[in-house]
Amino acid sequence: MIPRYQRILFWSLAAATLLMAGFLLHGCRQAREKLTRRRNETPLSAPVETPSQSVRLAVASDADGTISMADRNLALPSDPTTRARALLARLIAEYSWKNSTHPLESGPAIDDVFLLDLPLKPAAAFNAASTGPANDTSPAQPAPASASAGQLAVVNLNGGFVSHHPSGIEVETLTVDSIVGTLFANFPRVVQVRFLVDGQPHDTLAGHADLTRTYQAVDTATAGTAP
Amino acid sequence: MTLNRTRAALLLATLAGAAAVHSIAAQSPSSASAPQVPQPALRPQSSPASRPVIVLDPAHGGADTGASLPGNLAEKDVTLAFAQKLRALLGPAGFTVITTRDSDPAVPLSTDDRAQTANRAHALACIVLHATAAGSGVHVYTSTLQPAPALDADSVPAYAPVPWESAQAAFVTQSRRLGDDLRETLTKSGASPLLGRAPLRPLDNLLCPAVALEIAPQSSGDGSSTPVTDSGYQQTVAQAIVAALQAWSVQNPSGDAAQ
Repeated sequence: MIPRYQRILFWSLAAATLLMAGFLLHGCRQAREKLTRRRNETPLSAPVETPSQSVRLAVASDADGTISMADRNLALPSDPTTRARALLARLIAEYSWKNSTHPLESGPAIDDVFLLDLPLKPAAAFNAASTGPANDTSPAQPAPASASAGQLAVVNLNGGFVSHHPSGIEVETLTVDSIVGTLFANFPRVVQVRFLVDGQPHDTLAGHADLTRTYQAVDTATAGTAP
Repeated sequence: MTLNRTRAALLLATLAGAAAVHSIAAQSPSSASAPQVPQPALRPQSSPASRPVIVLDPAHGGADTGASLPGNLAEKDVTLAFAQKLRALLGPAGFTVITTRDSDPAVPLSTDDRAQTANRAHALACIVLHATAAGSGVHVYTSTLQPAPALDADSVPAYAPVPWESAQAAFVTQSRRLGDDLRETLTKSGASPLLGRAPLRPLDNLLCPAVALEIAPQSSGDGSSTPVTDSGYQQTVAQAIVAALQAWSVQNPSGDAAQ
């Protein structure tokens, strides 16, 4: 026979448990509604539909030290600078995938890509042009736009990517050739490529491949078309 | 009195003899008093004309450790050890060997320092040594420079300046031939070489037939891999390099390649 006071205690605890469960559910529902109300769903700009287009990536392979061209269908921005950055970011991202032929660590690799018309304007000429004819005493004249001899692509690499890049002549050269080859294949006006790391000149990629020089944009493929 | 004169004459003769010996020793760097470690900035006067000069450049050193290799090893130590092994084989093979470093320097040598050392040696061949954990086999690299166009000797001044950044251009053709020879010998030794061109300093600044050799682990068909630190593997590669340089020396007698 269960004593009366124990039965009263049991039913009281059961009622308290149900009450607390109901309070908790109510609190969760209120929090969700509060967050939903705060979300700004106002459309700020019209959605842009970018069609996929075929691009060519110069894909490196550590096994035989080759670069091969691979076709991809990607939706890329129309602005050339943003497009170049997205294309190179995709190229490096593929190297962090499983079974990559040129394994690199994942993470942001390309901070910016700048496309500059050649020949470059000397700083003095640029200043003279921007301040007007009164200061135009410099012998260097800004080159007219029609005299452009192609473009210089300045690739600003992420410092984290460089510090985690594997060290070695082959692996570093393949990364550089892969970037140069991809720019050559997709940006016909690019004739030269330079590299920066976190916006600053840097001696080497990871101790070997020289990043201080200007690379000529050429076809770096040394093998057939990759899948 | 006569005895004193005799002693004085003997003393003078001894002093004169000592001065003569000192003078000869000072003019002969090959004497025992000469420093054992080659001075990087000096052209080796001791090498006879019949002994072709090979420059070995063990890459990295000091704070510049290079790549991290398995076994907690630094690339700078592996390249130095391999250069010493190669030097020990090249000497008996009839070469005079100059290395850009014989120890781990406190202050790392710049690539320009290394190039200056090599250029002053007027070497038959310059070998830049690297090691890596990536890839497989031995990677043989030459400069990415295009060969310099052949100029008419009459139209070129006797002391035409050579641009530092493209000094190797005049030797690129020979460097590629040397690379081909090395690949052939390394293939015969089973080292699975890979030939290519790399944007690597100081290759472009060298005034000699120059290649960079990067030793990577040796992969076998069954999936196993021989590390770059394996003594037998290093010995095989070193012997192949010596054989290639001997053949190169025969093809380019009296250092014609470096002229």
